[in-house]
Amino acid sequence: MKHWGFSTKAIHLGIDPQNNHGATSIPIYQTSSFAYSQAEELAEVFDGNRFGYIYSRISNPTVTAFEQRINALENGVGAVATSSGMAAIFTVLFTLTSQGDEIVSSKSLFGGTFLLFNRVLSKYGVSVKYVDILDPESIKNAITEKTRALFLESIGNPGMDVPDIRKISEITRAKSIPLIADSTLTTPCLFNAKEHGVDVVIHSSTKYITGNGSTMGGVFIDLGTFEWESLDNKDLKNAANRAGSEMAFLNVARRNILMNTGACQSPFNAYLHCMGLETLELRMEKHCSNALTLAEYLESHPAITEINYPGLKDNRFHKIADNLFNGRYGGLLSFSLPSQKQCFKLINRLKLIKNLANLGDAKTLITHPASTIFHECTEEEMREAGVHEGLVRLSVGIEDVKDIIEDLETALGEVD
Amino acid sequence: MRVIINGKEEYIDKERLTVSELLKEKKVEMPETVSVQLNSSFVRRNDFNSTFIKENDKVDFLYFMGGGG
Repeated sequence: MKHWGFSTKAIHLGIDPQNNHGATSIPIYQTSSFAYSQAEELAEVFDGNRFGYIYSRISNPTVTAFEQRINALENGVGAVATSSGMAAIFTVLFTLTSQGDEIVSSKSLFGGTFLLFNRVLSKYGVSVKYVDILDPESIKNAITEKTRALFLESIGNPGMDVPDIRKISEITRAKSIPLIADSTLTTPCLFNAKEHGVDVVIHSSTKYITGNGSTMGGVFIDLGTFEWESLDNKDLKNAANRAGSEMAFLNVARRNILMNTGACQSPFNAYLHCMGLETLELRMEKHCSNALTLAEYLESHPAITEINYPGLKDNRFHKIADNLFNGRYGGLLSFSLPSQKQCFKLINRLKLIKNLANLGDAKTLITHPASTIFHECTEEEMREAGVHEGLVRLSVGIEDVKDIIEDLETALGEVD
Repeated sequence: MRVIINGKEEYIDKERLTVSELLKEKKVEMPETVSVQLNSSFVRRNDFNSTFIKENDKVDFLYFMGGGG
C-alpha cells in the first residue's frame, strides 16, 4: 500500500471492511468508554502490554481511523487528533516544553497562534522568541540552549510569506531542535513536510481537510525524523526508555498532555475529517486554480494597492513556493485597499462571498483580519504578522470562478 | 523456536522470522501503533522487515494506550 498514490491512500486507508461488517465508510464509534469482560484484560491494556481502547478522551476507533489515514498521507510514525487546530499546537508545544524553556517562532502567524503564545504559554514560563523567518541569521541567533523547537507556518496566514523550509531545516538539524510546521494552508496534498525537513507537522482539520466549514478539529503527525531522547526534556527521555525513542513524542503528547487536558477529537468529527480527506486532492486542485485566476484578476484591478499570492510570477515567494509546493500555491490570498473603511465597504457589498473568520471552505470567504482574528492583538503584533487596517484576506472556494469574479467586480466597483 | 513474548514462554513453528512476520504470526492487533522491544532494545519501525528473531529471544509488544498510528 506504500506505493499507492495520494488519493488512493486518502480513500482506502484507515478502515478494514473485513473487520467492520463490510462497511466501506468509516464507522462512528459514538461511545465514551470501552468494556472488558475480564479485569486482567483491562489491567493489561493500562500496562501497555495489550492493545485496546479505554476511554475516548485518550483514543477512539473512529479517531484512530482519521489518525491513520492522515499519517499515511504524511508518511509519518503516527498522528494524534485533537479538538481543534489550536489544541493541536498547544499539545505539541506543551509536550516539548517546561517552565523556563523557549520556543523560536516565525512572527508571521495566524492571530490565534499569536494569542496562544503571548497570553497562555507565557503565563506558564515558556517564552517565545519571534524571528523574521526569512532571515536565516536571525533564526540562528535566536536559538539558545533553552530552545526546544522552531515553529513556523508553511504559508504565513494572512501575511502570505513562504519560508524556505528546507534551508531552515538545515539550521534546526545543526542545532538539534525539532522543526514544527503548521501546514494548514498547504495540507499534505501540496506540501510534503517530511521531504522538506519538518519533524512534526500540524493541521487545523477544520479547514481544507474537512473542506466545507462543518467541523472543528486538529491533528499533528510525528514524521519520525527527530531523535527525541536528544532533546533536554525529562518526559521525552522517560518515554524513550518506556516506548522507544521513535514513539517517545507521541507517547508524551497523548499520555501526558492530551489525556490530562482533554482536548480530544469527537468520533463524529473524525468521521467527517475522513470523508473530507477522500476528496482533498480534487478540491485542492480547484482551490488552487481558482485562487490563481482571482489573484491575476485582482493584480490588475485599479482599486487594489497590493496583492499577496505566491502563485503570481512576480511575487517574491514564487520560486520558493514552486520548490516546496510542486507548482501549486494554495487557496488563500490577501490584498490591500487604501483604508479599513474601503475594506468594510467591499465586504458589505458582496453577495456570494461570505464574511466570516474561517478559511479552507468550499465557499469563498472574506475576512478583515485587523478587526476580527487579530482584534485582541496589539498593533505591534499585527504589524509583525503583516496585518494592517487596509488588508483583506480571501479564502478562495471551489465555486465557478466567473461567479466569484463577478461578485468581487461588482463590489470593488462601488468601493470609492 | 522458543521465544519469550510479553513475559510468556512460547514456541513458534519456524526456524527464523522477522519482527514483521512475528507480528503477523501472533496476530498482534494494530501493528501500526505497537512498539517492539527485542532483548530490551527497541526496534525501529523501518527495521521491522530486516530484524530477525532468534531462539530464546525476549520480545515485548508495547502500546501507548490504544492510540492512533
